[in-house]
Amino acid sequence: MRTQLPVAIAFLSGFIMVIAFFVPESNLENFSQNLLTFVTIVGGFTLLLGIVSILRANIQVVKKRGKEWGFKLLLILTLLIMSISSFIWGTHEGTVYHWMFQNMQAPMMSTMFSLLAFFIASAAYRAFRARTKEATILLITSVIVMLGRIPLGQFLWSRLPEYTDWIMAYPNLAVQRGIIIGAALGAAAMSLRIILGIERTYMGRG
Amino acid sequence: MNSASEIFSKLQHIDRRYIFLFIGMAAFLPLIFPLGLPLGVTPSSEDLFNAVENLEEGSVVMLTFDYYPSTLPETEPMSYAALRHLFRKNIRVITLTTIPLGALSVMEGVVKNVAREYNKEYGTDYVNLGYKYGYVAVMLGMGRKISDIFPRDNYDNKLEDLPLMQEVKNYDDVDFLFVVSDNATVDYWVSLVNAQFGLPMGAGVTAVMAPKCYSFLQTGQMVGLLGGMKGAAEYEKLTQNQGRATRGMDPQSIIHLLIIAFIILGNIGYFVSKR
Repeated sequence: MRTQLPVAIAFLSGFIMVIAFFVPESNLENFSQNLLTFVTIVGGFTLLLGIVSILRANIQVVKKRGKEWGFKLLLILTLLIMSISSFIWGTHEGTVYHWMFQNMQAPMMSTMFSLLAFFIASAAYRAFRARTKEATILLITSVIVMLGRIPLGQFLWSRLPEYTDWIMAYPNLAVQRGIIIGAALGAAAMSLRIILGIERTYMGRG
Repeated sequence: MNSASEIFSKLQHIDRRYIFLFIGMAAFLPLIFPLGLPLGVTPSSEDLFNAVENLEEGSVVMLTFDYYPSTLPETEPMSYAALRHLFRKNIRVITLTTIPLGALSVMEGVVKNVAREYNKEYGTDYVNLGYKYGYVAVMLGMGRKISDIFPRDNYDNKLEDLPLMQEVKNYDDVDFLFVVSDNATVDYWVSLVNAQFGLPMGAGVTAVMAPKCYSFLQTGQMVGLLGGMKGAAEYEKLTQNQGRATRGMDPQSIIHLLIIAFIILGNIGYFVSKR
């Protein structure tokens, strides 16, 4: 029963959504719309579940003084401070939550992301060696695109952005399309496997 | 080993701390001493600008804030530029986000600031729907009825009490979709909303996402595209409202040039040492 019921729900939900897409019948459309609303409501609870889960996992480590417990404690404290302040005063402009978000969370996340520039520069210097014919082509292409995507490149040679656009629109797209089509076919196949009950890993087992 | 070959060998193994130092300086100095390099506009940015420019006064545009705070330097200027363009043209705007982490706060800030600049009235000129979990369900559900998915707006008003939302029931009442995103949601806006409901759309995405989005541009599923900070700077230029993205172009130029210089040095070292 624990396996059959989720499979039956997945089958019915998926089947109805597919039929509703192809058959414009009002009762069916109403039902599929209700299902979509239901997804957003259930999703709200999964967010809550995520918070409970992260708290449980980290509290255990802190209690046992496990590896890097200090960071876990910091995580718990910041999670609680942000959550409680948002419940009490809200999240709008002028609130404690908003101040912490604007002045702490957003700069910290942007800083983490911007560190990529340093590591990319270092990695590019080490990795981009014209060792083979293919590596040389990649190297030349990357230099053209890097220069063509900045004002300085255009300043040095006004036609450089045209070549960059050509690279993006043809060789790049030939590869990108293959990836997109492959991923879409994979997603369709996976969806079908879930609807038909062949794929059951979403229940936590194979 | 003679001194020349030693130098070329060293060129291949520059300590990464020096690279970090140079990159840091290249990011910092142009912000203090701007170069003001001339900025060209790519056709994809111009197409997006023209699509918005050609909308009639009073049209309705859905503007999304589908990005995390980590990419704010690239994406937030796009949101500012887009919203300023829309409000300047007296286009009515519905904003929303499908991202749970931080996007709601960013959206509130941007929308309130720009609405204040253009003296726009909430509920009539713009509505902020806020965030709702499950972007696939949200995108599909709004195609039939927006109020099914968002019964209330971000400020807990009932949608039926807002004059703008009394006119806008679903995508049929929206004239254009402007997505600003740093993740795969843009693919779903294309495949679910543009493809299934025929809503014309354009997008502003981070530089790493732009190569993928070119395929949607070429097929006509997107009318225009802003790629990374340069795309944002181009839109700022087109809307004659130069801001953070334009200022960010100088550091980006110098950093790109510096990376190329390091790559060339490394290759010179590699080839000379090989001989």
